Amino acid sequence: MKTRRALSESAVAWLFAGPALLAIGLVVVFPLLYSLWLSFTDVNLLRATGPAIELFDLRIPLFRWIGARNYTQVLGDPLYWDSLWRTLYFVGAFVIEAAVIGLAMALVLNERFPGRPLMRSLLLVPWSLSRIVVGLLWIGILDFEFGALNGLLLRAHLIDGAIAFFKDGWSALNVLVSVYMWNQAPFATLLFLAGMQSISEDLYAAAEVDGAGYWRRLWYVTLPALRPIVFLVLVLATVNGFLMLDLIYVLTMGGPGYDTTTVSWHGFKTSFTFFKFGPGTAILYTLTALCLLLTVVYHALVLGRFEPEG
Amino acid sequence: MARARYRGGNYRRRSAGSRVILYATVTAVALWLIAPFAWLFVTSISYQKNLLARPFTPVPPEVTLDNYRMILGLVRFHAEGQAGKILTSMWNSLVVAVIVTAVNIVVGTTAGYAYARFRFPLKTLSLFALLFTRMLPTIVLIPAFFLVFRALGLQNTLTGLVIAYASFTLPFTVWIMKAYFETIPGDLDKSALVDGCNRFQAYCRVVLPVSGPGLVAGGAFTFMLCWNEFVVAQILNTKPGTTTLPPVIAGMNGQINIDYSVIAASGFLGALPAVLLVLLFQKYMVQGLTAGSVKG
Repeated sequence: MKTRRALSESAVAWLFAGPALLAIGLVVVFPLLYSLWLSFTDVNLLRATGPAIELFDLRIPLFRWIGARNYTQVLGDPLYWDSLWRTLYFVGAFVIEAAVIGLAMALVLNERFPGRPLMRSLLLVPWSLSRIVVGLLWIGILDFEFGALNGLLLRAHLIDGAIAFFKDGWSALNVLVSVYMWNQAPFATLLFLAGMQSISEDLYAAAEVDGAGYWRRLWYVTLPALRPIVFLVLVLATVNGFLMLDLIYVLTMGGPGYDTTTVSWHGFKTSFTFFKFGPGTAILYTLTALCLLLTVVYHALVLGRFEPEG
Repeated sequence: MARARYRGGNYRRRSAGSRVILYATVTAVALWLIAPFAWLFVTSISYQKNLLARPFTPVPPEVTLDNYRMILGLVRFHAEGQAGKILTSMWNSLVVAVIVTAVNIVVGTTAGYAYARFRFPLKTLSLFALLFTRMLPTIVLIPAFFLVFRALGLQNTLTGLVIAYASFTLPFTVWIMKAYFETIPGDLDKSALVDGCNRFQAYCRVVLPVSGPGLVAGGAFTFMLCWNEFVVAQILNTKPGTTTLPPVIAGMNGQINIDYSVIAASGFLGALPAVLLVLLFQKYMVQGLTAGSVKG
């Protein structure tokens, strides 16, 4: 009886999980492996002949295997390394900004004040916008000619002439960081708030008895208790930073010059502007490898700390 | 809710000074969160000439709905070719988002249930794979989709987009639902089993009816992801009339001959459904997302 039940339980489990896993296998795992294959081939989109997987009427081209040539070509290109360093700066700056501002907003929203539920709703507004709209609305604020920020600063006589935020590469890159932070920090705030609500009130009472003021309570009680959430926020922000693409599309198109070209933008352009799928997938696969590494970290964090029973 | 339950070291009466600081920071945060979006609305009901006018006026001297009339095709103007795609693309966005959300709710939820409740072979491995697909750069899949969809004739179709979107939303839904089901006591299903239900009946009749908040969180999040997605739609559906809203707005943004105020109108209109949905269901979404701690 007991063994029959255990057997049927795993069968039932597979019935429940099967459809989703099958779908994910078909639409994620297969494309993932096929892209990996493409990164080792000489992809010529115009050629209709050559080796292919043939299934019924379907013909999926396999192209010519050229070994690691795409990778050596991509890694031999200084543009790749420049964009990698730029990406590392972008990710580092973004992660710090998102974590710091996210934590600051969480500290404010964790206080008691009238209208707090409304404020917590507002928190979701920047986060629920399409990045295309996020970029668009920041153009309305930062534009050289009609931007509201330039208008305000000029009117207050804080500047003599309008600031061209996107003309200089370094400034454009930092604007990208901050705009993306505006969009993403609220999510970090949500995670921090959830963490703060699970800190025992007794700890604060004890700290108060010991004469600890606001900042000491923050440093000795709140922050240590939030440590797992801080790690979580850092890992998620790192992945999101590496993958950001759509904001670059609306705001800078990787320019001026190559000054805002990150690895993901470099891979996107190589693949879909120049339609060089071989080198393009090779570039994107270097990103994927980084994400796999981060998944291992995340896995250890999430499953190790939050769900010891999972 | 009992006031004494509020947490955060603020249970004591505040001094006047700290109250001023608190309200000042609250106002600053509120402005930071909402002013940029509010300004998008203001520009969308302004004339471009007033946006360009200096000195700058935060309150528009004239208010107009002309920008909305233009993008909705109610008045003729020089760039109606590009702007006229708004309604079609909004419809496309809606169709794709609704179908993907429905598929996710049915398929992703049952899988989430399996991960929350059962032990089965390969569970740990497939869970890790699921986690990895969540962290994956979606863009790396697109060259494969491009070639396979070309072979299948799915380029420039909504079916193609539905398939592609399911690929990156399903892992999220499974994860969110797994986290949600873990908050429901397992005794609930056990008592249903004792009462003679089989596993599937216990799931449908007992667990699902109390899973409303989780389903809303997973569904609203999926809808939002699909509604806002840009890169995949931009690459796979290039033929006019086949793509979704974000690529159309981005395309208008790239045109020199369209006023910013007109683009702002389409941006605001396009953002509204997702924003309203999220605000409407924010309570559940916050629960579901923090429990599943997803990639935003």
